[in-house]
Amino acid sequence: MSPVIRTRNLCRYFGSGETLVKAVDQVSIDIDPGEFTAVIGPSGSGKTTFLHLVGGLDNPTSGSVELSGINIESMSGAALSDFRRDHIGFIFQSYNLIPVLSAEENIEYIMLLQGLPSHTRKARVTDMLEVVGLSGLGNRRPPQLSGGQQQRVAVARAMASSPDIILADEPTANLDSKTGIALLDVMRDLNQSQGMTFVFSTHDEKIMERATRLIHMHDGRILADERK
Amino acid sequence: MLTFKLAFRNLFRNTRRTVLTVILIGFSLAALIFTDAVVIGMTNVITDSVTTTLNGEAQVHRRGFLESLDTDLVLDASESIEAILERDPSVSAHAPRILSGGMISSTYNVTSGLIYGVNADKEVKVSKINEAIVEGYYLTGAPAEILIGKSMARLLEVELGDRIVLTLAEANSGELTQALFRVSGLLEFGMRELDDNFVFINLDKGREMLGLESESHQIIIRFNNPDDAIDKNLPLYRTLNTQDVEALSWLEANTEIASILGMSGYSSFIVGAILFLLATLGVINSMFMSIYERIYEIGVIKALGTKPMQLVLLVVTEAGMIALLSCVFGMMLGGALGLWFADHGIPMGEMEMSGISLDNTIKTVLVPAQFINFPVYVVVLTVCAALYPARFASRITPATALQRSL
Repeated sequence: MSPVIRTRNLCRYFGSGETLVKAVDQVSIDIDPGEFTAVIGPSGSGKTTFLHLVGGLDNPTSGSVELSGINIESMSGAALSDFRRDHIGFIFQSYNLIPVLSAEENIEYIMLLQGLPSHTRKARVTDMLEVVGLSGLGNRRPPQLSGGQQQRVAVARAMASSPDIILADEPTANLDSKTGIALLDVMRDLNQSQGMTFVFSTHDEKIMERATRLIHMHDGRILADERK
Repeated sequence: MLTFKLAFRNLFRNTRRTVLTVILIGFSLAALIFTDAVVIGMTNVITDSVTTTLNGEAQVHRRGFLESLDTDLVLDASESIEAILERDPSVSAHAPRILSGGMISSTYNVTSGLIYGVNADKEVKVSKINEAIVEGYYLTGAPAEILIGKSMARLLEVELGDRIVLTLAEANSGELTQALFRVSGLLEFGMRELDDNFVFINLDKGREMLGLESESHQIIIRFNNPDDAIDKNLPLYRTLNTQDVEALSWLEANTEIASILGMSGYSSFIVGAILFLLATLGVINSMFMSIYERIYEIGVIKALGTKPMQLVLLVVTEAGMIALLSCVFGMMLGGALGLWFADHGIPMGEMEMSGISLDNTIKTVLVPAQFINFPVYVVVLTVCAALYPARFASRITPATALQRSL
């Protein structure tokens, strides 16, 4: 099975000279389809930068990133936007949603970018809201939803475009532990039922327990790669 | 549709800022509409003062006469020119005149001035001499009648019915000639130059004093359509202009006024440019504030796959909507101001420009162009001003945006 994510000697440096910071340094890793992977490590270990590089949100200083066999670091802005839209789902730490759009419209947003017809969008929005347990709350705008509900909408939105990978940067960081674990359970269920690849960063030990693979990062390097 | 929905809703994320931006741009548009309405009103006042007071909408004279006022330069074919004017359908009225510098003496004092010999009946159709009489009566054709300005009457210490002697030089011989007149009317044009220096006698008497027969120095013309006067291609001008004779529109005969009117067009442009520069900076500032406030959100929507051009379109659409709201506000405010001052006028006090007295009240004039062209400029400029912040938003990398927040 070919990996859905492959990085080789991936580096991202900031600054220069004495102020040089190696946020990601010589990271080479393969992640297979259907894996539920947690990138763990202390603050400043390079987890977020690694996810940004893998998701095509930032340009590496050197090295390569292949997603589903496609090398993305040489893609132009518009092509990379299209690639992200069709192949990657994102869940961020907080302020994930567009506050002027309702939950339904937030989920629909990415499908509008994909140019899907209205009936397909509406049907998938209904399905996604049901999957994340938010049926009936679709008309609410983000400020009318709790933090956990907002993150569930973000999961639904990330799923809506049927991506190959979902990247989540500390999705539970702003949630209480109970809500955070509940959100992880939703993600895990989707991973198991739909075979979707999840890569998420966290430093919450309870969350780590649910991952099937743990990638330990420190000072931009991978210290350990542990499969359960 | 998504872009419009997002842009519209984004306007109300920070209602205070949107309202302030709309007020800034709207005020600029209102100020421009009002300034242009004032300029048109002032132009109308100047045009009206120049063309209706004394000089008419056009005049015919011998070439060189306007510059030298030399009494030798007469229109020999005055009667045939009048016949042409009589037949021309574009001409509503015409009046021949003689002009000469001369000395005006009373029992007590003496002054110099410009003596106009006018045809009493024809003159009322081309000038406001009749309307300027404040005491006495207008010319009836009697040889001894003379109209002088009230201020000149004070200088000469004369009243109605008092005697005045005019001394001037005959047109061809240059011999001095004198005649006795009785003050039949006192004038007040409201223009110092006219009230202090101009006197009016009957045309036949003037001709007699200058030793002329049917000749005249100038023929004043008014048109049925005032716009014909400044039409250089008017057939009448081609007919009248010969090697010796010159027919000039009021704009050509009053070059200083023409320059002032030309400048007034620039004044609207300059005011507009300053106002729109300020409004443009306001829009750029407002859009940058708006973008910085939601820079994280821009990072998120870029991460989701929104293309740079779609982001440009979103920011520009927001600016376009602000511009449209501003136009509605600006047109209502500018229109209301324009209508109010069109009715009540703007008191300007006594104003004299190149010897022309302006009516002391300028009434603003609203025209459709102010409500079509100016709003279009506003929308185009606002959208152009938004391109800079839009470009910034589109070029920022998602990772950078996600790391920034206000």
